[in-house]
Amino acid sequence: MSALSTDWIEPARDRVRVFAQYDHAFEEKADVVVVGSGPSGAVAAFELAAAGHDVILLEEGPPFTVRDFELDGNLSMTRTMREGGLRMTRGTTMPTMQAVALGGGSLVNSAICVRPPDSVFDRWATRYDLERTDRAHLDPHFDAIADFLGIAPTPEEVQGPRNLLFRDGCDQMGVSSEPISRNVKGCRGSGECFTGCRSRAKQSMDVSYVPAALRAGARVFTSVQVQEIRRSGRRVTGVSGQVVAPFTHGAAKGRSHRFRIEAKAVVLAAGCTATPVLLQHSDDLANASGQVGENLQFHPGVAIAGVFPEAVQPQFGATQGYQSLAFLDEGFKLETLWAPPPLLALRFPGLGEELQARFAELPNMAIFDAIASANRSLGRVRKRFRSLEPVLEWQLHPDDVAILRRSLHVIAQIFFAAGARKILPGVSGIPHELTNIEDAAVLDSSAVKVGNLVMGGNHVFCTTRMHGDPTRGVVDEDGRCHDLENLYIADTGIFPQCPSVNPMFTGMALARRQAIALSERL
Amino acid sequence: MLTGLIIVGLLMAAGFALHRRGYAGYAPAPAGLAILHRGEAAFVDAVAEVLFPAGGGLALSGIDAQLPHSIDRHLVALPWRQRAQIRLLLGAVEHITLVLPSEEPGGRGRFSSLSAASRIALLDRLSRHRFGLLRLLMTALRSVFVLGYLGHPANLHGLSLAPFEIELGVSEAELLFPRVGGLVSSIAFGPEDLNVAEYREPLRPDGERHRAYARTAATQTGRAKR
Ligand SMILES: Cc1cc2nc3c(=O)[nH]c(=O)nc-3n(C[C@H](O)[C@H](O)[C@H](O)COP(=O)(O)OP(=O)(O)OC[C@H]3O[C@@H](n4cnc5c(N)ncnc54)[C@H](O)[C@@H]3O)c2cc1C
Ligand code: SF4
Repeated sequence: MSALSTDWIEPARDRVRVFAQYDHAFEEKADVVVVGSGPSGAVAAFELAAAGHDVILLEEGPPFTVRDFELDGNLSMTRTMREGGLRMTRGTTMPTMQAVALGGGSLVNSAICVRPPDSVFDRWATRYDLERTDRAHLDPHFDAIADFLGIAPTPEEVQGPRNLLFRDGCDQMGVSSEPISRNVKGCRGSGECFTGCRSRAKQSMDVSYVPAALRAGARVFTSVQVQEIRRSGRRVTGVSGQVVAPFTHGAAKGRSHRFRIEAKAVVLAAGCTATPVLLQHSDDLANASGQVGENLQFHPGVAIAGVFPEAVQPQFGATQGYQSLAFLDEGFKLETLWAPPPLLALRFPGLGEELQARFAELPNMAIFDAIASANRSLGRVRKRFRSLEPVLEWQLHPDDVAILRRSLHVIAQIFFAAGARKILPGVSGIPHELTNIEDAAVLDSSAVKVGNLVMGGNHVFCTTRMHGDPTRGVVDEDGRCHDLENLYIADTGIFPQCPSVNPMFTGMALARRQAIALSERL
Repeated sequence: MLTGLIIVGLLMAAGFALHRRGYAGYAPAPAGLAILHRGEAAFVDAVAEVLFPAGGGLALSGIDAQLPHSIDRHLVALPWRQRAQIRLLLGAVEHITLVLPSEEPGGRGRFSSLSAASRIALLDRLSRHRFGLLRLLMTALRSVFVLGYLGHPANLHGLSLAPFEIELGVSEAELLFPRVGGLVSSIAFGPEDLNVAEYREPLRPDGERHRAYARTAATQTGRAKR
């Protein structure tokens, strides 16, 4: 029960706009307009509002209340994800998901919050001329966010067997592992972070920073798609766009009233795949360096299902409760994973009764995954003709294939050390099932080719990268565009390279820092 | 004049052949489909029957799981581009026999007209084909079907994988935002309804499963057995 005063709720409701309310075109003014309510945008909006500025936060997606969550994983994706959850990269084909909802990716993600190690920031500093982007400078921001969101290691009582088997396997192998720190309060272990937390334990932005921003006086307009950033000389003057109905995937049909917001500063936090497209649509804004949309990076992920002799009851437990950072230097991070079973089963091999037999083994399964620091695998984001949906071109580099092979092999070893009866590697071209550690060696061999890997990449970076040199990057260390005095970018696109760990926390820390810097300049 | 007549005749013949191949001879579509036409529905059932046969250890077979309906719901919810891609995929495999004929007599007929043995053999061939594109086609097709089949509440419930029955959380978000599509004035919650807390009792691994899943499982499995 909340012991805090709730007097602020009524006036805050008046500052919220939802689709059903828009009945005419509108214009507004603010000190700052923030585009996108994901982790980065929500933090920026809150910090600026808390500092006393008049802030408007714009979000294309609708707010989801707890009764709006769809339990069917497939239908849930069509409502919460861009392109109905079926977005793919071209080049090396890989599914990638970006959310469209109040709260952005935080609504559907697993709430994993990890600070990158010093080695990541050292690399960033030396290669990208950065002086203040290290743990010493960012830790105060990480700390403030951790306090606010209650970030803490996942307690044992909500781990469930599925997560603890990972710990056991790592212990057996002498590999360090630890409970994952997450932005949750009162997690009940329902394992359904992907379709939205019905317990409202997950501190996604729509239940944390966005309400806090409203409380601090911000206005929050949902179901509005920004289509253009308006500019005059070296300054931007605001944004304009159109109202879009929920679940129409950006097709501004029917009630498509136009809007325009004038502001002293604009913060773009539309996400790493949307922000560059918005800039390209706005007359190739902020692109003197030629880097807008370039350098696209992912953490490509691979996963293995392990089948245990006894029931694991995998539906119970924190969605992702355990991790190992022991292999970061080798280029990968290991985690446990759960998702709606039909999505997990997509990678199961076989047809007919063979396939059904694998479904029937799901109650005895756990899934472990690896995300790779694939910073040699590059791509780019391009706008499509008359659409704000991006084209994502990306190519997995052979050196990064080697990292993924090695990670698959380590996962297999952990499974067998934990007592798995067999594993389903989900890699075509090698046996569907492996039943012992010797056979699993095939995973770290040339039999595993790019085209055989089943990957997913939901961590996306670098398309508007931060660089001390204006000719080689889009924004400076405060997130301000080198080319414009009052245009800021605050999403994972500003990372100069992939962060090697889950990106949300770093995105929020950088957003907080830049919101404070912007606040001082206003 | 004669040339014109010949061209019109050829066009009509081509149109007739296309109509026969694409639309004629299908049984009427089941009631309640918003997007799939009768040919697509027949194709979906033809795949479902062999991909998820009866007696395969799950609560429902592919046919009992009524995949035309779940795939139709999925299509309705998708953006037009992805919807078109999936419909193209269904059409491509229905007519893939034109380039990969089955060995049975009439093996160039539509996929849905083949015997069960030929259908599963053809799917197997596609999944192992040396051309990556054909393998990709099969992976995509399989995904559409697995999502519908395993996602059926009766199948998930039967495997004890249905979502938990949970007391819904009421957070500040429920006080600030209406349900999708509603007006702010329709918000039903007030401060007295807030029930989120720093600590909540964890669920039990064998705890009660979502009632709607249990209900569907009871009715559908009963119907399938009859
Ligand atoms: C399934 C899944 C699980 C994940 N799990 C984790 C995890 O556990 N931990 C972790 O660290 N990371 C995780 N990630 C990644 C993480 O969620 C993202 O890195 C993070 O959300 C990025 O934050 P952001 O603010 O940069 O952008 P986003 O979260 O993408 O937010 C951008 C927002 O801008 C809005 N927007 C876009 N264009 C416009 C426009 N034109 N007008 C108005 N609004 C617009 C979007 O609708 C969106 O809400 C996961 C991602 C996914 C998809
Ligand atoms: S595991 Fe369940 S209760 Fe815990 S944060 Fe995720 S969805 Fe919420």
